[in-house]
Amino acid sequence: MTATTKTRALTLKERMETRKRVPATEKKDDTGLILRRLVNYMAGGESRTRFIVAMIVRIIAVAALVAIPTFTGLAIDVISSPDGTSQELVRWSLLAIGAGVIFLVLSFIAERTFSRLATDGLYKLQRHLFEHMQTLSLSFFDRQPLGQLTSRVTNDTEAVALFYESAVAQIIRAIFQILLVIIMMFIISTQLALVALLIVPVMLLLTGAIQRVATPAFAKLQEDLGDLSAFQEETLSGNKVITSNLRHDWAEDKNDDQAGDVFDVASHAFFASLLNFPLTQTLTMLQIAVVLMIGSLMVLDGQLEFGIVIAFISYTALLASPLSEIANLTATSLNAVAGGRRVFNIIDEEATVFDAPDATDYQFKGGHVEFKDVDFSYVPGRKILKHNTFEAKPGQKIGICGPTGAGKSTIINILTRYYDIDSGTILIDGQDISKLTQVSLRQQVGVVLQEAFLFTDTVMNNLMYAREGATEEECIEAAKQANAHEFIMNLPQGYDTLMTERGANLSQGQRQMITIARAMVANPKMLILDEATSNVDTRTEKLIQEGLERLMSGRTSFVIAHRLSTIRDSHNIMVVNGGEIEEFGPHDELMARKGFYYNLYMSQFKGKGPAGEAGIEMDFVAT
Amino acid sequence: MLTSFRRLFGIYKGYRLRLIFSQVLLIISALATLGVATLNQRLINEGLLAEDPVVILQTGIWMMILAVIGGAALAGTAAFAVFFAQGTAYLIRVELYNKIQTFSFANFDHFRTGNLMVRLNADVNNVANAVQYAVILLLYAPFMVLVALILSIINTPSLIWILLIVIVVVLGIMAILVPQIFKAYDQRQKRFDDLNNTLQENLAGMRVVKAFVRSHLENDRFERRADAMRQPAFAAAFRVALLSPLLTAIAQISIAFSVLVGGLQVLNVTGVNLGELVTFMQYLSLVVTPLALMAVVVPFLLRGDTSAGRIFEVWDAVPEIQDRPEAKMLNPADFQGRVVFDNVTFSFRRPDGKLDPPAIKNINLTVEPGERIGILGATGAGKTALVNLLPRFYDVTEGRITIDGIDVRDIPQENLRQIVGIALQEAVLFQGDIRFNLKFGNPEAEDALMFDAAQAADAFGFISNLPEKWTAPVTRRGYNFSGGQRQRLSISRTLTTQPRVLVLDDSTSALDVATESRVQGAIPKFTNNVTTIYIAQRISAVIDLDKIVLMENGKIIATGNHEELMESSPLYQQIYESQLGSGITAGLEVAL
Repeated sequence: MTATTKTRALTLKERMETRKRVPATEKKDDTGLILRRLVNYMAGGESRTRFIVAMIVRIIAVAALVAIPTFTGLAIDVISSPDGTSQELVRWSLLAIGAGVIFLVLSFIAERTFSRLATDGLYKLQRHLFEHMQTLSLSFFDRQPLGQLTSRVTNDTEAVALFYESAVAQIIRAIFQILLVIIMMFIISTQLALVALLIVPVMLLLTGAIQRVATPAFAKLQEDLGDLSAFQEETLSGNKVITSNLRHDWAEDKNDDQAGDVFDVASHAFFASLLNFPLTQTLTMLQIAVVLMIGSLMVLDGQLEFGIVIAFISYTALLASPLSEIANLTATSLNAVAGGRRVFNIIDEEATVFDAPDATDYQFKGGHVEFKDVDFSYVPGRKILKHNTFEAKPGQKIGICGPTGAGKSTIINILTRYYDIDSGTILIDGQDISKLTQVSLRQQVGVVLQEAFLFTDTVMNNLMYAREGATEEECIEAAKQANAHEFIMNLPQGYDTLMTERGANLSQGQRQMITIARAMVANPKMLILDEATSNVDTRTEKLIQEGLERLMSGRTSFVIAHRLSTIRDSHNIMVVNGGEIEEFGPHDELMARKGFYYNLYMSQFKGKGPAGEAGIEMDFVAT
Repeated sequence: MLTSFRRLFGIYKGYRLRLIFSQVLLIISALATLGVATLNQRLINEGLLAEDPVVILQTGIWMMILAVIGGAALAGTAAFAVFFAQGTAYLIRVELYNKIQTFSFANFDHFRTGNLMVRLNADVNNVANAVQYAVILLLYAPFMVLVALILSIINTPSLIWILLIVIVVVLGIMAILVPQIFKAYDQRQKRFDDLNNTLQENLAGMRVVKAFVRSHLENDRFERRADAMRQPAFAAAFRVALLSPLLTAIAQISIAFSVLVGGLQVLNVTGVNLGELVTFMQYLSLVVTPLALMAVVVPFLLRGDTSAGRIFEVWDAVPEIQDRPEAKMLNPADFQGRVVFDNVTFSFRRPDGKLDPPAIKNINLTVEPGERIGILGATGAGKTALVNLLPRFYDVTEGRITIDGIDVRDIPQENLRQIVGIALQEAVLFQGDIRFNLKFGNPEAEDALMFDAAQAADAFGFISNLPEKWTAPVTRRGYNFSGGQRQRLSISRTLTTQPRVLVLDDSTSALDVATESRVQGAIPKFTNNVTTIYIAQRISAVIDLDKIVLMENGKIIATGNHEELMESSPLYQQIYESQLGSGITAGLEVAL
């Protein structure tokens, strides 16, 4: 059994390493692949038909639009020719107006569908990402700061949202409009078309150049603004330190510097992007002037009808707007690719802890826990636990103590299989936990954490969270057991009181009691408590201790203690130092031994205790 | 209307000329653009219809010249618009931030960091956007429309009603669509914030989610939030997408319509001629875009105004604590450090100016020079509130606090904070390196002093073990160090300022007892005769000090050393039993 665990732990690490290596070595351009994956959320699967239909409608709309100048041109021909009749004029004008109306109606339909598909696509992507994250192991979340992960997910999905809403359909429309206009121009007059199209490369070149300045400038701006606001946030929330140290001048100078950087970059970025409008307008007018001038000369020469010249002027305008859009749309798309790449990195991430193929559900047989020669490390090569072997008999309470950083809290992570161990075996009721399903294991191992995390929801919903199908009566009973019922009833809306963010409207002690009640609702067969009662008054602490006692009674429990008084009555106390079990035994026995635990215990009294100076010169492996 | 925005314009005093110049350029651009359109008429009537190629060429070249002038002038205005928008943003970012630096703790209680950050970020951006659009469009669009109207009254009076209809239709559509877009977009952002909060909470509570195996519930919760975002997201996206085809259609249909109406006039020779008709068609297409943009500008201006108002709200706040005019600088080294709290009462002031019930009630306490005292009590007992009065983070409501007989309110704040050093409850470090952080309160300090301070705070050891040692990087707020390390760095930082009165506000809570005891033992050796006040919730932190002050509900319950309090104070006994164990003798019988 030990051997299988070992080999699997090794393969896991190999897998992790190979995955890390992939993006670093593989420099091949994946833009196309990511674009395809992104578009697939919007236009793939069941949405494909609707997307294609909308596309066809859009194309017909553009065709109607491109027909307008031809009709208008023909109408002008009627006017400028000496034998033109009113009927002909009315016919061509009404055709032009009709085409305009068709364009409008079809565009309306197409844009409606595209917008719907865009929001649906985003919704699918968001859900996929979130649901996938729920399956990832804790090591993934511990690897990066919470704020960073959240803001990355937020910004990246927003970049994709912009792409869905304003780029996917527009790019196709723009390209199609450009193509149709060019084709129409050549059909009407090849020579004039060649003249009119002179402007196209110039326009593409210049808008592209603007974009090449603007895009990195905006990226830099985002970065600088991020730095500035991070600095401002840091110094405003840490303002007490600045005030007490009289360093306002430093803060002001640094802020001025960074705001100055933002000014420089923002000036570039916004000017470049604002240039688009005058540039497009000027080029369009230049083109109109050239077309009109050369076209008129050709009319004088008898090569052309005047209506064609007028039609060309309209085509010029119809060509200019999609041309000037292209650069912008490209930038939006590339931005979305960058965001999409990071999103897919998360989606492609695999859980590091997963159920074995032959995993079975845990069968409770009293709660007998055995650690056999367990080694564990978060980072390969840096062992947190070394050769840990111990045993907890059914219903026993095991206290765990030791200096900060000794590895006390690690036991939560491995007994619930948030992390897999490197080697050794953990048996619960004789069953190897690496062979059990995670769900069945976690349902039976309750955890009350140091930080009392509550959701922004009502008290009742927070309690019901613990177990699917828990009734209100059960929750109230659990709250009573945890000594929480009384203060909950004193809240403005009792059990329906809404907790503000992270339960901030309750005192720390009260939050702790609610988490104890929550653990009672879950009714696990075993418990791990990460004790945190240092910030409450003695009365509250007494209530909490009572609640914990009731919670632990009859259950195999592990109590991670930061203060020794809470674990003194444990069946066994495990003293951990530097990842190794230094001592193991009941309080009295360890005190009599006058070893590590004895000194740890006595150090609390600083010479004021019953044993005089004992423990005062104690030196831990402090980190 | 737009009062805050107008007040903001005060900052452009030195830049009036540039502002005027930018608008002159704008008008030149509008005139040049309309000029190009008007020349159509000449080219067709006097060139094409009169069959004069020279006029055609001349007019064409003039059109090109005017087009370039118009574009260049508009680009010039754009440059000014960016200058004004970003300049405004820069000024607000700097001035507002500097203003905030003068704030007292009480001001920060009213304006939370989050609120201030919104003003420094989103509000500044809103104002910058408003300024940018105001400079480039506020005059441009109305001027363009006005001149086009005048020119068509002169040249094509029989078609002017079409232009008027187009103006009304465009403005009408925009007046309906744009507010809807802004509303839908705001709602989308609100729902998006909700979604993000759900995400953030889920990630923060991941251990709880996994512990109770409730990921499917989380999925449902997220799905509901994501679903709620769809409708407003669609409403906004659809309307934005509709704008472009709408404007294109209006331009094209109105052109076709004027060809019909004007064409009939040309055929029947009852009004316009061909050249005038073509010019009119140009006016139509030139007017539509600026009109549409004008409709977009208005909400931006309104938003900018609201944001400017919020910025001024902070700007107008008055620092609660200021130096008294008669306060004069004293030499910190001359202070003995005898601290007296003389019947001190303190209440927090609410934003509306009313006082909360007192957090500190009638405190009388004397700390002799060089004495080490501990203040013990639970959360909310008033310990921190009490010591915050000493360096004047807040001012007393009643009574007075003196150092060596001088009321702290008669000492300049700068001077006072050299005398009183405080290591705060929350050990915040700043981005930079270790040396920068340790010398934060005393940048001129010698390295030797910093080393000694770090030694006393038990930080020397772990700093020396870092690869870069004293230049080791510190990330924002010092989160790359553990809680215990941050606390020791924070104590070192305070010690480096060599205060006469030292306050450690629960700043050893994350250390184990042995380390805490080493730090407490080393401090008197570091600065001779420094008066030290320790605040703690843990009895071990104060057990061996000269004097322990036990606080509860803003009052001093008992004073004395450990032995005295064990005799006299039932509350102290309770805390002792609860924290260090009631059944102590049971274990000791075996142990001793």
